[in-house]
Amino acid sequence: MPGCGCEAASPTALHGLAVFMQTTLSIATDAFAYGMVLFIISIGLSLTMGLMRVVNLAHGAFAMIGGYIASYITRDLGWGYVPAILLGVAGTIIIAAPFERLLFRRIYGKPELLQVLMTIGITFCVIGVTNYFFGPTLKTIPLPDILTRPVDIGFRTIAAHRLFVMACGVGVAAALWFLIEKTGFGIKLRAAVDNAAMTDALGVRTPVVYAIAFAVAVGLAAFGGIIGAEFLPVEPYYALRYMVLFLVVVSVGGAGSILGTLVACLALGAVDTVGRYLMPDFGNFFFYAAVIAIVFAFPRGFFGRAQ
Amino acid sequence: MNFRNLLGAAFGALLLGGVCSAAADTVKVGIIGPFSGPFALQGKNFQAGVQAYMGLNGKSVAGHDVEVVYRDLPAANPAQARALAQELVVKDKVQYLGGVYFTPDAMAIAPLLVQANTPLVIFNAATSAILTKSPLAVRTSFTTAQTTTPLGQVVADNGVKKVISAVSDYGPGIDAEGAFKKAFSAAGGEIVDSIRMPMNTNDFSPIMQRVKDSGAEAVFAFLPSGPTTLGFVKSFNETGLKKSGIKLFAPGDLTQESDLPALGEAADGTLTTFHYAVSHDSPENKAFVEAAGKALGNPAELSFPAVGAFDGMHVIYKMIEATDGKQDAQKAVDAVKGLSWTSPRGPVSIDADTRHITENIYLRQVAKDADGKFINKEIKTFENQKDPGLAAK
Amino acid sequence: MTQPAMDVSAGAPTRSYPLYLRDIAGVAAILVAGAAGYWLFPDNLALLTRIIAVALLVLSLDLITGYCGVASLGQATLFGAGAYAVGFACVHGGVTEPLTLMLIGAVAGATAGLAMGAIMLRAHGLAQLVLSIAIVQLGHEAANKFTGYTGGSDGLAGLSVNPLFGVFEFDLWGRTAYLFGLALLVVVFALLRVVVSSPFGVLCRGVRQDPVRVKAMGAFVFPVILKMFVISGAVAGLGGALAAISTQVVGLDSISFELSANALVMLVLGGLGTLYGALVGTVIFMAFEHVVSAINPFHWLTMVGALLVAVVLVAPGGLVNLAGKVGGIGRSKGSKP
Repeated sequence: MPGCGCEAASPTALHGLAVFMQTTLSIATDAFAYGMVLFIISIGLSLTMGLMRVVNLAHGAFAMIGGYIASYITRDLGWGYVPAILLGVAGTIIIAAPFERLLFRRIYGKPELLQVLMTIGITFCVIGVTNYFFGPTLKTIPLPDILTRPVDIGFRTIAAHRLFVMACGVGVAAALWFLIEKTGFGIKLRAAVDNAAMTDALGVRTPVVYAIAFAVAVGLAAFGGIIGAEFLPVEPYYALRYMVLFLVVVSVGGAGSILGTLVACLALGAVDTVGRYLMPDFGNFFFYAAVIAIVFAFPRGFFGRAQ
Repeated sequence: MNFRNLLGAAFGALLLGGVCSAAADTVKVGIIGPFSGPFALQGKNFQAGVQAYMGLNGKSVAGHDVEVVYRDLPAANPAQARALAQELVVKDKVQYLGGVYFTPDAMAIAPLLVQANTPLVIFNAATSAILTKSPLAVRTSFTTAQTTTPLGQVVADNGVKKVISAVSDYGPGIDAEGAFKKAFSAAGGEIVDSIRMPMNTNDFSPIMQRVKDSGAEAVFAFLPSGPTTLGFVKSFNETGLKKSGIKLFAPGDLTQESDLPALGEAADGTLTTFHYAVSHDSPENKAFVEAAGKALGNPAELSFPAVGAFDGMHVIYKMIEATDGKQDAQKAVDAVKGLSWTSPRGPVSIDADTRHITENIYLRQVAKDADGKFINKEIKTFENQKDPGLAAK
Repeated sequence: MTQPAMDVSAGAPTRSYPLYLRDIAGVAAILVAGAAGYWLFPDNLALLTRIIAVALLVLSLDLITGYCGVASLGQATLFGAGAYAVGFACVHGGVTEPLTLMLIGAVAGATAGLAMGAIMLRAHGLAQLVLSIAIVQLGHEAANKFTGYTGGSDGLAGLSVNPLFGVFEFDLWGRTAYLFGLALLVVVFALLRVVVSSPFGVLCRGVRQDPVRVKAMGAFVFPVILKMFVISGAVAGLGGALAAISTQVVGLDSISFELSANALVMLVLGGLGTLYGALVGTVIFMAFEHVVSAINPFHWLTMVGALLVAVVLVAPGGLVNLAGKVGGIGRSKGSKP
């Protein structure tokens, strides 16, 4: 009512402001949750690409394997969510070990395009085999009751598993930072990345360091695949469907940087969520236009290492 | 049931014997579908429908053996579709083409048909205009407008005045939006906002926020079957929209049976309109579900493309019968114009003018059956629905 | 297609008379292989035509990736630009003359190449790759949104093209389309061999190996690579135009990330920076895919994956390099991206 008097208008204006604030906060929460999901799935890829210098397009395939194991454990064996996560991560690492030993080890330090070729090949194989054994339907990982409840966070309710995912994201970021920056293993890894030959000469067994780093990256992929399954449902084509998304997020953040990946995920999560709220028709335009803008502003990614 | 099967088998064997003694000629049928890739489930259903039909009705018709050749077209790719169709016709010498999941592929094949003297029986591709591109194309699936239109009245009957529409931003989504708007406005309702959601949306909460802000009493949604429907329905629940009394209406793509175990409780109570529900209660459907489930290996994977393929094979068998195994596309197509039969989905017929299938559209609700499994339960029937998209032209 | 492997030394910067002979032999080999395809597989001409269209795309990618060191996962943008320009001109503009349409496709591709190059050359390495992905996704989204011009996800159907030279129709059997495509491929290939062995082509390779040094020599890097992007765009645009004319439908797949990624896979499979590798990679990949997907339409993807892994293990320099080694004419140094 534009013609209203001042006294009459102020309560409505106040109410309008309250609604606006509530909506903004609500969108911000959604954006944060989505960003954290992206983070948890892509951080493993950031490690492989930044620290091990392998463009691992099979990252999504490992996330998917984790999801399938967890789905099998919860739905077919009827075990709980926590064992599903633990066994899913462990199982994926075990499955990935021969890949590392036989295939990945041959492409460390090779040209990137060769790595792309091999990891796409591996992805195709994983998709084909999964489709053969598990069929093309969607697989779910049922959440425990405590995670399905809506939780009141003051200005709105939010699904508990979203809070769980956010907490996991923060936890993973902190743990990784500690591992890489503060432990002996982290020092060896960074040394091996900077100069493998010299590190070898100093008595560090670099193949072992690489193998452990690879296992951590794969484990993180599986972990992300499992707890992110509410957003990115598990099905055979998962490995290719979200490949671009992971690759973009990691590159925008600057491969190898935990903080960079975190910032990129939150920024792109926000762009995606806000874009889809304000102008859903042009949601994808927003996302990729933002990617181009960020790359222009930060050609090495937010916190990328100089290459 | 057993007796019927036995009878069928005996009859089939008799027929087969007849063939062997007469002339064992073979009529080849080429089926193009997404047998691998992101839509592999739908392709698998094509195959199950075909195998179910041939299992129940024999592998030969009127003395002619029928041989099916499958060709994979994982995603919409007109150039590949054309190449496959050409190869099937020229090299494999198929007399009939069938299948086709995506509209652009059908569009690419249609111009070849007259020259190839080959009818195309479309098992799925659901855009109205395809059939106008060739006089030799017949469709046994549905169009988006056909399955969506009755929903307008349903929503109005549920006492809903204001609806927000949210559709996936691609051809069928836009078709659905248009058809629903038309039908709902005609029933006196109001569309307060229309959202077109990008195809690769993973997180639907911003969409749900918009729904909340719009003040609508119900959501009309269209999403292609598959992973995104899960995210949408879950988001609808988690953001508290369902609890606050907002209703969800959609064409049946949203709740295809093979997705229901994953959707679970989240989809409970959702009202959809569609041409086929696996739970449809009829002897024809029982036989079909059993045969198709066996062909799939896992009966939980059964979904609507299988019935399109099943009826498609019926049409092809009738064509073979009418032409006595000779390649005469026009005669074959003319023979099935106006053809009517009882499909697993209910009574159907091929419209003589449009060559599109006329069928019942059912209003269904997601509910648990006696075994506690989620099904699409039919609660109302809209009889003999034609394709409004073609009828208008 | 074994003859192209003879030419592995053509990438060397020095030119001499025998190299021209080899190029002539290479072109002759394509003609022979093309003619053999026509006689041996007369029932698969639509497939062969599709292979030629994709081969043009992969060739165009080799120009910027193999010769300039710019990796792209968005090359289909240029292919799609050509295809949609032709589709639009034919369906909405009423242009039906095939050669004119090819020209339209080439110009549209070149224009898109100019724009894409200008954007992509702002970044390096991984960021560059991501820019290419973002560009092809934006292009895809645009083609999906502007349904009035592109038909959206239903595709732009109804291209009716006049007979070639007013005589040869584009029909079911696809003879016209194939022979036309083959002629186009041979002409484009010959021209590209001239381009890459010209001083300009040598300069591009110099930029790939050491941009700083090229700068120090006084050459401008940006315009050189941008020029190559324009040429690459024209070639990809021709591929798109050929696909549009022979299929009579333009779909969203022609401007997709999937097609771009496939093109890169085929290029690396064949071998970078020789042009022959692009052809060999395309033919092997698509023929293999066609054969295994016909044998088992449901689970062929595993076989394709295994092929890629095997090639990396056995022939890391690409199939052309492997053939070269087997033939005893190994290159001193494998091509690096």
